[in-house]
Amino acid sequence: MHGEATAPVVCLGCGCACDDIAVTVAGGRITAAERACALGRAWFGDGQLPAKVRVGGTDASLAAATARAAELLGAGPALVYLAPGLSTEAQRAAIALADLAKAHLDSVTSETAGPSIVAAQRRGRATATLGEIRHRADLVVFWGTDPAERYPRYRERYTPAGVPVIAVDVGPARGPADAADRFAFPADLEAAALGTMKAALMGRTVADPRGPLAPAAVLAERLTQAHYVVIVHDAEPAEQADPQRSEGLIGLAQALNIPTRCALSTLRGGGNRSGADAAMTWQTGYPFAVNFALGVPRYRADEPASEVVAQMRAVLIAGEWRGLPPAFVQGLAGRVVVAIGPRASEVASAEVAVDTGMAGIHEAGTAYRLDDVPLPLTPALSHPQAAAAVLDAIAGQIARRSAVLR
Amino acid sequence: MSAERLRVIGGHLHDPANGIDGEVGDLCIEDGRIVSDLPPGAPTLDARGMVIMPGGVDIHSHFASSSCNQARRLVPEEHAADPVYPPALLEGEPAPRSGTGGTVPSTFTTGYRYAGLGYTTVFDAAVAPVMARHSHAEMDDTPCVDAGFFALLGNDEYLLRQIDAGERARARDYIAWLLGATGGYAVKVVNPGGIEAWKAGQRNLAELDQPLAGRRATARAILETITDAVNALALPHATHIHCNNLGQPGNSATTLATMQALAGRRAHFTHIQFHCYGGPDGTGWGSAAARVMDYVNTHPEISTDVGQVMFGPASTITADGPVEFLLWQSSGRKWVNIDVELETGCGIVPYAYKEKAAVSALQWAVGLELFLLARDPWRVVLSTDHPNGGSFLAYPQLIQLLMDRSVRDEALKRVNQKLLAGSALLDGLSREYTLNEIAIVTRAGPARLLGLPHKGHLGPGAEADVTIYARNADLAQMFSSPRYVLKAGRVIVEEGQLRRAPRGARLHVRPGYDAAVLTDLRRFFDEHGTVQLDNYPVRDIPGEPRC
Repeated sequence: MHGEATAPVVCLGCGCACDDIAVTVAGGRITAAERACALGRAWFGDGQLPAKVRVGGTDASLAAATARAAELLGAGPALVYLAPGLSTEAQRAAIALADLAKAHLDSVTSETAGPSIVAAQRRGRATATLGEIRHRADLVVFWGTDPAERYPRYRERYTPAGVPVIAVDVGPARGPADAADRFAFPADLEAAALGTMKAALMGRTVADPRGPLAPAAVLAERLTQAHYVVIVHDAEPAEQADPQRSEGLIGLAQALNIPTRCALSTLRGGGNRSGADAAMTWQTGYPFAVNFALGVPRYRADEPASEVVAQMRAVLIAGEWRGLPPAFVQGLAGRVVVAIGPRASEVASAEVAVDTGMAGIHEAGTAYRLDDVPLPLTPALSHPQAAAAVLDAIAGQIARRSAVLR
Repeated sequence: MSAERLRVIGGHLHDPANGIDGEVGDLCIEDGRIVSDLPPGAPTLDARGMVIMPGGVDIHSHFASSSCNQARRLVPEEHAADPVYPPALLEGEPAPRSGTGGTVPSTFTTGYRYAGLGYTTVFDAAVAPVMARHSHAEMDDTPCVDAGFFALLGNDEYLLRQIDAGERARARDYIAWLLGATGGYAVKVVNPGGIEAWKAGQRNLAELDQPLAGRRATARAILETITDAVNALALPHATHIHCNNLGQPGNSATTLATMQALAGRRAHFTHIQFHCYGGPDGTGWGSAAARVMDYVNTHPEISTDVGQVMFGPASTITADGPVEFLLWQSSGRKWVNIDVELETGCGIVPYAYKEKAAVSALQWAVGLELFLLARDPWRVVLSTDHPNGGSFLAYPQLIQLLMDRSVRDEALKRVNQKLLAGSALLDGLSREYTLNEIAIVTRAGPARLLGLPHKGHLGPGAEADVTIYARNADLAQMFSSPRYVLKAGRVIVEEGQLRRAPRGARLHVRPGYDAAVLTDLRRFFDEHGTVQLDNYPVRDIPGEPRC
């Protein structure tokens, strides 16, 4: 069966959010995703999703499901958890729901890029959108990461062809194998290496020329010789990452803007994670870990969802439940779970489950690239339940319940 | 369905657009518009003894953009210090939302606070076109105010290429296409060429005729090309210009040169307070307010807003990346820089203006001088460049400084005098703004300059956005808490409390253009863009375009 390729659509397989994918649909299935990488092809799949609505383990009407969800979440204490796979329109609806339910609100960010964001809140950051990197960079440094595996098209799409690449290996976390130059630091000396580089930029020599930090001063000198340096790091979890890495890289990138120009590019995973951060910020002032229990948003950046979940009676997982941080999933035991999102009906323990489409495959709206550029989502397929509408319906019922109680 | 009517009885009407200056009269409203009369029996609102003005119009604010959101994210400590409970809205209204304040409040709080101040129309003055979709989303979540934005174009790569090539017609078509594609309302120029210079390693442009490295485009060529295009397209608002060298000592020379470069052309010069420095010889730190305002006074084709500095916390947010780099260097505070592909930049530094700091005091004095020396208030709009010079919540204090010389003189005694020599303020400017002049600089003037014929006045046909103040000898108090605010004819603030939070209208334009530009543009996007041309335009912008 032959289908026709769509106009270019956005892939949310990773934070690169490549928007040049031509999807072919035949017989209601995706049969090809032209230009997508392996990660992208897996993300699109064939586009087949269940479309069930279940309450207490049995099939139910959507009205019954939203009513029960409102009852459970409105009774509190509840956690509203933004998983990947939602459009920003659906994320906004979920944030409203959390506000109205006086819930705790969080996203995968607290278990992943949270420390990087908190570091940027302390210091700021010097960065650029991905196109700027493509146009300006004359030196790209991959710091403890090789984007080939988790961000396969990052280099192809967003770094200039032929630009010199430096790999910085931090312990076992290696940069790209094909880098023209390599520097290596033991994981436990990463923060010291970053400090040494910054000191070198200030004209101070602090490293023993024969010690393990000596390459740091050499690397710093190399960076100052470029016109526009881009340093790339991965904000998603890596076991070896030094918690001080983000702050060290931020300080280094900022300081490099004195002698030359520099941008720090922070890699994020798929499913519109940056969109969740953005929408939470504009609606509440905070990018993740927001507690509404007292009727106002309060920032709880040091309490990741995996810790907070144990204090909750009910948990709303909005979005794709597969692939959530294991610590969070473990914490769900004993909680009443409401699942709204793609394959929600596969959450065995869910009291309420509403299958929805996947943002970008079945649902329209907006998603954010890892550099906060918003992109339009054009669905190739349809699904009977849209996440934003279901979340809106629950939020509306919670609002009516609290109005009655007032 | 019967018409929704209201007769506002017995207030003192301040409607300068219609030549009304405090006369007592009734205001008749039907279906969201002002009408000349109503049948007997219409519901009434007693405004006897109160001051009635059109709803406020903010011509220059940073409240709903990707840059703002980066600034919001940067100051969790401010949000923690200013948590905001949901307002007690009437039954049937959209569910009220909590939020946070500080210098960059969350979106719902921004809408509620603007309404609480009697402002009903707000423009975001700096939106990177590629981020336009974000601004629309934030505006969707900013209730109570009609909103629009200005698209940043003074450092746009495609436009610079047209300028390099002398393709002025194509530049005009591109500007028209871009405004329609992004849902923008007007064109903003920030530090023309200087942001591109910053991104390209040239650091900045110091003079109007200094070319960008390796190309023909200069700040002068950028300003002329864009201003001519905007005027040829007959856009409702003039080119909105943030001059080169913002915040630099001696920058009034650049400001005056820019005004002269565009002589005879309709143009709006924004936050000119930040562009009016220079001692008697035009250099260094000192007030050049009199020299610049003298030019403005004698050139009716140009308009301005002041960008007043108010003492206290601020967040500096601008596309002017090189300026924020300097501020980071001099202040040692947090610093965000975001180079935005093909279009512009973004810099953010949280800041505070202090009475005892010499430069802060100079900036404060320069702004007041500009207001007090302005002969035509219709062309000198009240702004703080929110939140750059201070929050919009400081407007009432600013109004008090303009209306009450004694308050102003007391304040002047408290500030650092080091750089004030030569300031007309120190010589004792005695002018006190009248209520009608306040109505001009806060609503009638900006509405006219924005080309919004149905806003900023109370004549028949006007949108019934109305602010009603109870008189108070404390003018800051009076203007900070209107007794009633009406949006599209409905009372949204009642007895000083927000009771309704309607969704505002979106103000945008879609000028015509020669579609031939799209062929060239597609080639450009294919070669240089990381967003597909087909994915670039914002879809489903609410409301009809204004042109």
